[in-house]
Amino acid sequence: MELYLQVGWGMMEHCRTLCQELGGSTAILSPRDLDEDQLIRLSTELRGLGGSVLLDPQFYLPRADHHRLTSHAYWPDDYNTTGFAGDGRQVMTRALVACNRRLQTTHLIVPGERADIVDELWLESQRGFLEAARDATDQPLIMTICLSAEAIRSNDQINLVMEQAEQMSISGYYLVAERPGLAYLVDDPQWLANTLDLAAGLRRLETDVIVGYSNHQQLIMACAGVNAIASGTWMNVRSFFPDKFRSSYEDEIKRRATWYYCPQALSEYTLPYLDIGFRLGLRDELMPDPPTPYANPIFEVSQPSASGWTESDAFRHYLTALNQQVHSATCRSFVEAVATHRALLDRAEGVLKRFREHGISSPTRGFQDAVDANRAALIILERTHGPMLGRRWADFVSDAHHE
Amino acid sequence: MTVDLTWLYDRFPLLSECEPLQPGGQKWVYRCEHREIGPCVLKIIKPGAAQRLDRELEAVRRLDQLSSCNVPQVYDVGIIDSQMGPLIWLLEQYVEGTDLFEVLGQSPLSRDQVLNLALDLVSVAEEAESVNVVHRDIKPRNIKIDPDGKAWLLDFGIVRILDLESRTRSDAVVGPHSPGYSAPEQFRYQKRAIDGRSDLFAIGVVLYESAMGVNPFIEGARDRREVLRRVENDPLPRLELEWDVGGLFSDFVSALTQKYPYQRPRSCTEASHWLNDIIVQLGGL
Repeated sequence: MELYLQVGWGMMEHCRTLCQELGGSTAILSPRDLDEDQLIRLSTELRGLGGSVLLDPQFYLPRADHHRLTSHAYWPDDYNTTGFAGDGRQVMTRALVACNRRLQTTHLIVPGERADIVDELWLESQRGFLEAARDATDQPLIMTICLSAEAIRSNDQINLVMEQAEQMSISGYYLVAERPGLAYLVDDPQWLANTLDLAAGLRRLETDVIVGYSNHQQLIMACAGVNAIASGTWMNVRSFFPDKFRSSYEDEIKRRATWYYCPQALSEYTLPYLDIGFRLGLRDELMPDPPTPYANPIFEVSQPSASGWTESDAFRHYLTALNQQVHSATCRSFVEAVATHRALLDRAEGVLKRFREHGISSPTRGFQDAVDANRAALIILERTHGPMLGRRWADFVSDAHHE
Repeated sequence: MTVDLTWLYDRFPLLSECEPLQPGGQKWVYRCEHREIGPCVLKIIKPGAAQRLDRELEAVRRLDQLSSCNVPQVYDVGIIDSQMGPLIWLLEQYVEGTDLFEVLGQSPLSRDQVLNLALDLVSVAEEAESVNVVHRDIKPRNIKIDPDGKAWLLDFGIVRILDLESRTRSDAVVGPHSPGYSAPEQFRYQKRAIDGRSDLFAIGVVLYESAMGVNPFIEGARDRREVLRRVENDPLPRLELEWDVGGLFSDFVSALTQKYPYQRPRSCTEASHWLNDIIVQLGGL
C-alpha cells in the first residue's frame, strides 16, 4: 500500500516538500482549494520532483456552491437532473478530460455523486459518467464511489455497488466513504467492516483501489490489499466532510490547533497534554515511533507548548509518520498483514491505557474507541474475504508496487 | 394430470417396463428399458402456462453440451403431440445408486467421501458455468451416489440459461429455489445476481451437511420462512473436522456460503482450482 497526498487548503508547499522527501509521491489535487493556474503549477512542480498527480473532480454534491470549486471550467453552469442525464454529463466530462490533459494526470478520476442511498438513480448516474468518460478519453479510468455513512452501513447497498462494479471494466476505484456522524475516527464496527468489505471486494475484481480522505484508521486497508490511502493536512482531507463543498462551510483553518500525532498510540494530542506528559516522565513514551525529524523540536525542550512547534511541522510530522506506517502495514501475505495490524492495535491500546492513567487523553482524536471497531472489522474481513485474499495476495502486493 | 402408459408405449415403441420415478415438479419421470440402450430415464416436461418450447429445447441442448462424467448423458430429445399440446421429452442415462439424502440418513460422510463429493460437484458447476448454465437446485435429493462412490448431479429442472431470457415472470418476488440450499439472491429472485456462484452456495451447504450430517439452516426450523430467514441472516457455522488440518476445507466451505455473490469465489473455475490446491495440501485422496 502507498500513501497518496490528499491535497487540501494551504497544502501546496507541504506537497512539494513531502513529494521530495517521500521519493515522488502521488498527489490528488483538489479543485475546491486551488484554481486552475495553481493546479497546473503544482502539477508541474510535483511531476518535476518525480511525483505524479490525479485530479479529484469533487462532483460529490452536484448542487455544491463553493465558489472556487464551481468556478472551474468543467463544473456545470446549471444542474438539473433531467438535463444533466441528457448531454450535461458528456459536456462536463469533456471539459474535465481537457483539464486533466493540462495537468498531465496519470489517470482520469471519473466523477461520482455522493450516494445518500444506493438506488437505481445513483447506479445509473455512475454508469452514465463512466460511459461519458469512455467516449471522451483513452486515459485509464478510476471511478469514484462516494457513499454516505448510512449507505455504507447497509450490507445490501454494498452488494448493489459490487454488483455494478462486476460489470464495469475499469482500471480502478476511488473510494470516498463518509463517516457516521461525520466522525474523524470511527467507533462503528459495522461501518468499518463494510468499508473494508467493499475495498476487498473491489480489489478482488483485479482493479486498483484508492481510499480517499483517509487518516491513520485506514491503515487497516492494507489488510484488504488496497493500493493506496490518501491523506493530508487538515482534518477535512483526512475524513470526508461533504459540507466543505458548500459556501457556508467554516474552514478548520479558522479554528486551528496544533496536534501532535503519536504513531504508536494512533492518537493525536494537543501540546498542553504533552507538557503534562513530560512532567510525569512520559517523554520517551510520547516520542514518535517511527521517528520523524519534524517532531524533534518538541522533544528537545522541557515544555512542548513553548517549543515554537508549528502547524506546518505537525502536518509534515503526521504525513511522514503515516507514510512509514503505511509501508510497515504492507506485508507479504494476508495473514501477516492482519497480524501486523492487530499488533499495531494491541500496542496502541497499551500505550493509550498508560497515557490515560497519567491523565493524558484526547477526547476527539484519541483512538481508544476505535480500537475495537478495527478489531471487529478485521475479523469480518478474515471470515468473508480472508482465504480468497490470501490466495491472491502475491498479485495484490506486486500490483501495488508497480503502480 | 398423468401420462397413460399405453399412450407412452405407443409414442415410444422402443421402450418397455416404464415405472414412474419420484415425481418432479415440472415433469413426469420414468425409469424404462430401451430395446437398444438398456436401462434409461424418460422425462416429459409438463406443459406450463409460461412454457416456451424453443426456450425449453435450448435448455436441453445446453445440458447436452455438458460432457461431465457426473451428469447423466442425454441420449435423445424431441417433441411429441398430446392432448395437452406439444410436449418436450428427453431420454437420459439411468444412474444406479442411492440419493445423497438417503446416504446421509445413515451417517455423515468420511473425509475421502466429502472431498470426492466436493470435487464432483464443483467440477459439474464449473462445466455448467462454461456453457452459461446455472443448475439452481443442488441439494442431497438431486445428487446420486453410484456404487463406485461417484456423485451424479441430477434434475436440471429449474436450470437457468444466463444468456437467455428468463422463463419466470419478471415481477415474481420469490424465485425458484429449494429452502435451506438455495442462495439468498436466488430466492429473493435477484435475477441479475444469479450465476454460477449461486450453485457454489448450494454446494457449500451440501458439503457442510455431508461432513456434519445436519443442515443447520433446516435443522429445528419451524417452517419454510424460518429456513429462508436463517439462510439470509445466519452464517453457516464453521466446519470443525479433525482431518481438516489448518481449517483449509472449512475456509473453502465458508467462502462458498457467503451471503453475497461477490464475497464467494469469483467463479466456479476459481473454486475448482482452490479445491484442488486444498486437496493437495491435505495430503491428497
